[in-house]
Amino acid sequence: MSDATHRSIEPVVLRVLVAAFTIFIIGYILVPILVTLVMSFNNAAMIRFPIANWSARWYADFFASGQWTDALKNSILIALGTAVISTTAGVLCAWAFQRFHIPFRDMWYILIMMPLFMPGVVLGLGVAIAFGGLSIGGYAFYGSRELVMVAHSLWAMPLVFMLMEATFKTIDYRIVEASHDLGGGPVRTFFEVVLPLVSTGIVSSMLFAFVISLNEFVMALFLTDRDTQTLPVLMWLSLRSAGTPRLAVASVILALTVFACLTIIMLWYVRQLRKVSR
Amino acid sequence: MTAATQAADDLHATQRAAQARRKALAPWLLMLPALVIVLVFFGIPTLYMVRMSFNLHIDQRLYVPGFTFEHYVNLFSNPLFTNAILTTIRLALIASLATVAIGYAFALLVWLKPARWRLLFIGLALAPLLISEIAIIFGWWMFFPKNGLLSYALLSSGLVTEKISLMYTEFAAFVGLVYVTLPYCFFILLSIFDGIDKRLLEASADLGAPPSRTFREVMLPLTWTGILVAFSQSFIWTMGTYATPSALGPDTLWTMGFLIQEQMLGKHNWPMASAFAVVLVVGVAAVMTLTRSLQSERTSFHV
Repeated sequence: MSDATHRSIEPVVLRVLVAAFTIFIIGYILVPILVTLVMSFNNAAMIRFPIANWSARWYADFFASGQWTDALKNSILIALGTAVISTTAGVLCAWAFQRFHIPFRDMWYILIMMPLFMPGVVLGLGVAIAFGGLSIGGYAFYGSRELVMVAHSLWAMPLVFMLMEATFKTIDYRIVEASHDLGGGPVRTFFEVVLPLVSTGIVSSMLFAFVISLNEFVMALFLTDRDTQTLPVLMWLSLRSAGTPRLAVASVILALTVFACLTIIMLWYVRQLRKVSR
Repeated sequence: MTAATQAADDLHATQRAAQARRKALAPWLLMLPALVIVLVFFGIPTLYMVRMSFNLHIDQRLYVPGFTFEHYVNLFSNPLFTNAILTTIRLALIASLATVAIGYAFALLVWLKPARWRLLFIGLALAPLLISEIAIIFGWWMFFPKNGLLSYALLSSGLVTEKISLMYTEFAAFVGLVYVTLPYCFFILLSIFDGIDKRLLEASADLGAPPSRTFREVMLPLTWTGILVAFSQSFIWTMGTYATPSALGPDTLWTMGFLIQEQMLGKHNWPMASAFAVVLVVGVAAVMTLTRSLQSERTSFHV
């Protein structure tokens, strides 16, 4: 008797729980995003709800401020550099792992993946104390964008490597052999046969590297000075003093840049699919 | 054998030797950029950091070369520092448990829902991953305070009569921390669920098991490894993430990451910051090793 009622009640309870959880998770993930989006169009100088007047005033303010546009420029330059460095290094390394016998393979694999599991604060500290005081031929490492690019590559490169290792496994190697048989050297085969085959993987990993660098701020905080500070670093420093809707604008602009990258990946992917189906 | 064929053979041999050498060298050349990055910008700084942690810190200079265990002794005896270590472990533990619970339910939901919802939910789960941690912090920073959205929403719906603030509480810190780590957990667990045959659920139901029993006796054992990996991944992430708890939590919520930043950028005490970083890395490594051993034990038990 009690078992029967138990069984009839359980599905109903379950359905209510599922619905409640669905609402909770959607709300949880969307709340900070929507709050930011709404606040960026606030006209007032204070962060407070309800919002009385709406305007794009803080967007105009953002783009009129040299400090904030410089920070955005630094962020984009550093992210571009990180994307180039980590994609080049990661793709070549993954190719070596795919095609060659490497002594102590597992050891090298662990070594290359290790930085990905290190907290940003540790990597930032290490690079800052090891290269902070160093300058070669009048070029000071500390505060330079290049040092931040390499530091960000410590996270981005293992990720590219992992992605490309998986991508290289999907290639039909008879095509590579055919290229060799037709007299294509290893270098020419790599650039003219292999790379076009994995172009989607390369574009995706490049954009992921870009996004990681664009969003990262702990390493950048340790390695930049006033002239090279990135947008997230400037946001962190201003949040400590006072929050204004300008910060919301900065958040939206960061997110829009990431969104633009995703759109590029999607468009590229669709294009490749069309090519294949043709 | 004439001198001419001899010379030709020699030429072939040297050519072949050169080719073999090139073939042996090729993987290293290809790996060179990656190895330079890892060895020069990860290996050297790590060794330098370990060495730095034994240097002296005298009268406000960044560091003075020397050898002392003072910083490590200080780390484990000064209540300020021991508290930070305990706080870090406590935060990471609770936040990871919450992340795994929410992530598990979320992944289960996506797995069970019809396929047409899948892409939408995956897009939703990607959002926290693609947003900068600083933007996430700022988003919650506008939600929790007295004049924030939460207080306004509760007030205008009549649930409370006075403005409330949850800002600078441990609850706010947990909400932020879980938000940052949730996507990793979700994707690890979803990939585990995707490897399970859904007909197992039907079979269990046909045999008369209510959903709760199916969950306990079918789903949990099958996803145990995934839970373990997701938990340790969240734990490692929350141990290293210090900006979120320090910005959303109470002023006294000092984590190891926060103290590293404080010692490095505020107090300019490089040896102390390095000692803290070394302990943090050892902690991360310990969690990873523990997970690996638990994982292999589990799989060997199953096989």
